[in-house]
Amino acid sequence: MDTSDSEHFESADEEFNSDTEDKNVKTKTISDTSETLKLKEMTISEESINVSNVKEVSTVNVVSNDNSCHDLKRKNVKPVVRNPTADKSDKRSKPGKLKLGVKLGTKITSTSCNAIKCDDVEDSKLKSNYDNKTSSSSKTNIDDNHKTCISALKDIKNEENLQKLDKREEIVLDEESNMWADDEWEPISSTDNKLTNKETNETNKTVQNNFSSGWGGWGNWDVTSLLSTATMGVTTITNHVSQGLTTVLESGIGVPDPEELARLNKMEGKSKESIEVDEEEEEKKEVDSKNNKSGVPDLTFGLGSFVSGVSQITKLVESTGNKVISSGLDTLETIGKKTMEVLQEGDPGLKKKRAFLKIDADKPVLSHILREAKEKAEQENRLAEEKHVSKKANYETLFDDHQGLAHLEALEMLSRQCDIKLKTLLESHSGADLIEMQETLSQIKELCELTDEDEDEKEELDESEIKEKIETAVTELNVSISYNKLMSTWKDISHWLENLDLNLYSAAQLHEESINILAQLTAVAVELFHKTGELLLIKEHRSTVDEADSLVQLTTTMTTLISDIAKKASNKLNEKATQSGSKDNVNQFITNVYFEATNSSSYIKNAFELLIPVLQVGAV
Amino acid sequence: MSAGPYNYSYIFKYIIIGDMGVGKSCLLHQFTEKKFMSDCPHTIGVEFGTRIIEVAGKKIKLQIWDTAGQERFRAVTRSYYRGAAGALMVYDITRRSTYNHLSSWLTDTRNLTNPNTVIFLIGNKCDLEGQRDVTYEEAKQFADENGLMFVEASAKTGQNVEEAFLETARKIYQSIQDGRLDLYAADSGVQHKPSQPGRNTLTNDQQSNKDNCAC
Repeated sequence: MDTSDSEHFESADEEFNSDTEDKNVKTKTISDTSETLKLKEMTISEESINVSNVKEVSTVNVVSNDNSCHDLKRKNVKPVVRNPTADKSDKRSKPGKLKLGVKLGTKITSTSCNAIKCDDVEDSKLKSNYDNKTSSSSKTNIDDNHKTCISALKDIKNEENLQKLDKREEIVLDEESNMWADDEWEPISSTDNKLTNKETNETNKTVQNNFSSGWGGWGNWDVTSLLSTATMGVTTITNHVSQGLTTVLESGIGVPDPEELARLNKMEGKSKESIEVDEEEEEKKEVDSKNNKSGVPDLTFGLGSFVSGVSQITKLVESTGNKVISSGLDTLETIGKKTMEVLQEGDPGLKKKRAFLKIDADKPVLSHILREAKEKAEQENRLAEEKHVSKKANYETLFDDHQGLAHLEALEMLSRQCDIKLKTLLESHSGADLIEMQETLSQIKELCELTDEDEDEKEELDESEIKEKIETAVTELNVSISYNKLMSTWKDISHWLENLDLNLYSAAQLHEESINILAQLTAVAVELFHKTGELLLIKEHRSTVDEADSLVQLTTTMTTLISDIAKKASNKLNEKATQSGSKDNVNQFITNVYFEATNSSSYIKNAFELLIPVLQVGAV
Repeated sequence: MSAGPYNYSYIFKYIIIGDMGVGKSCLLHQFTEKKFMSDCPHTIGVEFGTRIIEVAGKKIKLQIWDTAGQERFRAVTRSYYRGAAGALMVYDITRRSTYNHLSSWLTDTRNLTNPNTVIFLIGNKCDLEGQRDVTYEEAKQFADENGLMFVEASAKTGQNVEEAFLETARKIYQSIQDGRLDLYAADSGVQHKPSQPGRNTLTNDQQSNKDNCAC
């Protein structure tokens, strides 16, 4: 190998640097291949930590972005990264909220994606690539790491030893170079007090000499074993850390559990222990290899210094690695905690977010609105009671008293469940199947369109006609449900209204009773729709068209009954008004009765609409 | 039917689960009406009962969801677990099969409710001592192993019925006091009456979230 070779070396290096500049673009492409990502999820977090282990700054990268890392690096704030990291994640997490979590995720996955890619490259390619990558990484990495790379460089020259290199190490180096391939070709940082610039340059030269002259044999075994031991050490640590990160990630996705955090803390302690153990082992081996080295004849100028340099480097790698890992681990913990905090801000247990991911609430939930209204009214009533004013009739409270609210809520839950089922089904279909399914669903929706023409066409309701209408509709539904309750409630109410002794009730009392019966009838209607929904869902042979048809019939019948009651009640109020002569007051009551009747009808229609997904589920 | 005075501070959602015929509806009826229903029809899907109780001087409205025990309704009733603050899991001490199915009911409950949901195991029909098929000890052991509260009760005599419902409420109330139960979470199963800042924002949040997610 001569000048041409080293030229190649240089150019490849440059190429690689430019590659790194395109990293963002790459990252995007990579994150597109999310399927691969999923498959290699475990590998991902493991490998990404590899990156963060070798250099603390890269841990920062996991949190924030490349720029901040570069900044950190330039300032040489290496050993005290921990606090800035926490601060950074602090600052960044506030405005980002949810986004931070996403960012964190993509950062980790995308960087490690490179690693995976590298993993996939064939061995032969690897070898050649490796030269470039390693060199570029040695250029850009900080001191200790740099030396690891140098030894790696040397190692590469020996084909028989190449296989011994852990792939993971390679990934680490590759990652490093990807992330850190900037303009700094200064191999020694100012914080390195053990090695002088000169020394390292010397070492560097030695390696390059070695490189170009093709000296294969010397001391390879020792260096390799050193390197692989170091690799092993890092790997063990990495495993611990990655477990920690996985825990953070997992807990981030699922239920935030304080146990998780506790476990993380424990894990930190554990990995610290193992680091110490690893370090001890490392030192032993180092001494051994040193002893071996002393026996090796001094073949070249600078070899001795190289050898001692290497061992010092290794020591340095280890000690820095320790700091890196412990601070990295703390950082990870901070990230995890912070992310969860931010994600959970105003949303404990991530309930809303999880609910949101499942169901998109495109309309406010009726039962919630009703409950709110009810509670507001009840509070007003409490205040009124305190002032010894008679309680005002409140529709929502009465509706709840008749269990209408509970049934409505249950029906909503049922409807939502069906919606989820439909969405899942739609997602599992594609192409013609999907279109066909969507068509079916919209056809059902069309079948369920309510016409509100015939609401006020009749003056007097024919009881038997209504009864027949309901019975036909129920038969068509083909579920074992009886709508007798609806009929009997309506009959009772009508009967009560017709035989009302106006002298026994004040206008206010009459108004209250009218609201009450409207609420009662509506509650019955909602209950029946709820029961119908439940029974339809367990029905074996669905006939969606008939079901939709009869439900439309039932809905219109119910609203007819409501308006009938409202009419009868307001007639009574009118009678009362003429009797007592307090017209103004009663007019307000009548308006209110009609208002609540309209509300009742819309609640019934709403309940019917909640049944549409139930019908749709039966058709697909 | 009428719930009477409305000055309660909390609403707790309960759900009663268990095999068909173990007496879920009867327990509810005994609790709300203080009467025994000797001829109780099968429940369709879910039925409701309410009663206002008092815990630590606070009035609490229990909104009880009495589910159908029939296997065919299982999928439907699973939709109703969400947001239950308390779950009463009932078996029949005279029928071992209903006891054997408890683990399946427990799995459903754990999967479908939040971690703070109080689960109370009730061995019903303890008035039928002569036909006993499940011993108190083994049920107690099962309850202890799974961290459940346990009592043997009788919907017929009313023995321990109040206790089961009230004890559950006390435990839930304790969770609120300890801050373990978040009142404003959508599925905590508890609603706090006086002011409800959580309710309004829930709907709004979800809507705004949806808007943001037009991607």
